Amino acid sequence: MKDTEFLEDTKITKCVQCGKCSASCPAGRNSRLLTRKIIMEAKSGMDVVGREELWLCTTCFLCFERCPKGVNTVDAIIELRNRAVMEGKFPEVHVGAIEGIYDTGSGLPLSPDGIRDRSMLGLEKEPEDIARNEEDFKNFQKLIKELGLLEKVGVER
Amino acid sequence: MKYAFFPGCIAKNVYPSIEKSTRMVFEKLKIDLVDYPYSCCPAPGVLGSYDQDTWLTLGARNISLSEADELGIVVICNGCYGTVHRVYDILDKDEEKKAMVNANLGKVGMDYKGTYRPIHFVDVMDSMKEEILKNKKSDLGLRVAIHYGCHYLRPKSDEATYNVEKPKVVEGIVELLGCESVEFKDKLSCCGAGGGVWSGAEELGIDILEEKVQNILDVGDVDCIVNICPFCHMHIDSTQKKSQFKADTVPTLHLNQLLGMAFGMKDKHLGLHTHRVSTRDVVKAVKKAGKEKK
Repeated sequence: MKDTEFLEDTKITKCVQCGKCSASCPAGRNSRLLTRKIIMEAKSGMDVVGREELWLCTTCFLCFERCPKGVNTVDAIIELRNRAVMEGKFPEVHVGAIEGIYDTGSGLPLSPDGIRDRSMLGLEKEPEDIARNEEDFKNFQKLIKELGLLEKVGVER
Repeated sequence: MKYAFFPGCIAKNVYPSIEKSTRMVFEKLKIDLVDYPYSCCPAPGVLGSYDQDTWLTLGARNISLSEADELGIVVICNGCYGTVHRVYDILDKDEEKKAMVNANLGKVGMDYKGTYRPIHFVDVMDSMKEEILKNKKSDLGLRVAIHYGCHYLRPKSDEATYNVEKPKVVEGIVELLGCESVEFKDKLSCCGAGGGVWSGAEELGIDILEEKVQNILDVGDVDCIVNICPFCHMHIDSTQKKSQFKADTVPTLHLNQLLGMAFGMKDKHLGLHTHRVSTRDVVKAVKKAGKEKK
């Protein structure tokens, strides 16, 4: 049996397998993601942490809003993803985005096209954000390092 | 009225047309926007999925920046809202998490109080209908498909009053601008970009968007999709131009661009020409509607 205490706040034990979550799911209609099944298996103590389909949820929260038992399906998936990261079972594809946030402060950094469009529209070439404020940026990077995220995903800085 | 302005990464870096339109529209409505050294919100789908403590701490850092000036944040993106609004809600109810966040922020001389609930710009516009009408130059005469996206509506927080299955707030705003809002299948479903799917499962993101656009095309004669989120905007606009995309294309406008058009601002100033899917027919239709009125 797998420890499922970390899912307690999401109330998965209340699930009655009605399937409203999967019936509402835009990702499930187009992929192998079956939220109903993930919740059932997690509830029964199966180890679902390594399941690749956990990463197909768009976190749209339709399932959560429609669940008649108040199960927080999306937070359960997010908790399972967090656990997968702790166990080193995460998709490499997002590591670049995490590096980008650390290196630039932005999830999607300023590109040459962005600079061109900003100038053309009469905005300042570079936005007035964290990247332009040295002290804030240093503290931001320090925070990320202290929180241990880079280590978890094997990024050295 | 004055807000701390949180434009978010995409409106700043990828679709500056949305940042520009927002600044113009807010100025017209006499709402001051103040800039702060914000980082990424951080992205709920990616950062939140990897490490909740990092997500909460960096989100709280952003919210805390304007607290000393007694200003709350206004966001123009559902993704940013899905972080700052949710982080606010979580820390409001969970003292343990708030203590964790403050222990971390303390290391860089910062502190999170949680005194101002972040607000979505749609709620600001909803509260300013009279001013919007006063500033309207002409009816736009467009048939629009409203795309709410996800995190403005969901998860619904305790204090929200809208009907989560039948919201009417954006409809109320576009109708004020002389637009007709059409109903379509699965109107409230996701564009397909969130949760890390845009970057991590591209084909799935395309499939979900195709379904959405097809449902809109099935209604017939829709001039454009109106969105309230630069991330949805980017996915709808850019992904439709990808070679794998099979449906016909529909242009999309951020609600602040639509407001700008109704206020008589030039489409080039609103950056409509920087979109990937051509907005030329939308601009033409608006000009035609304006002339017919005269």
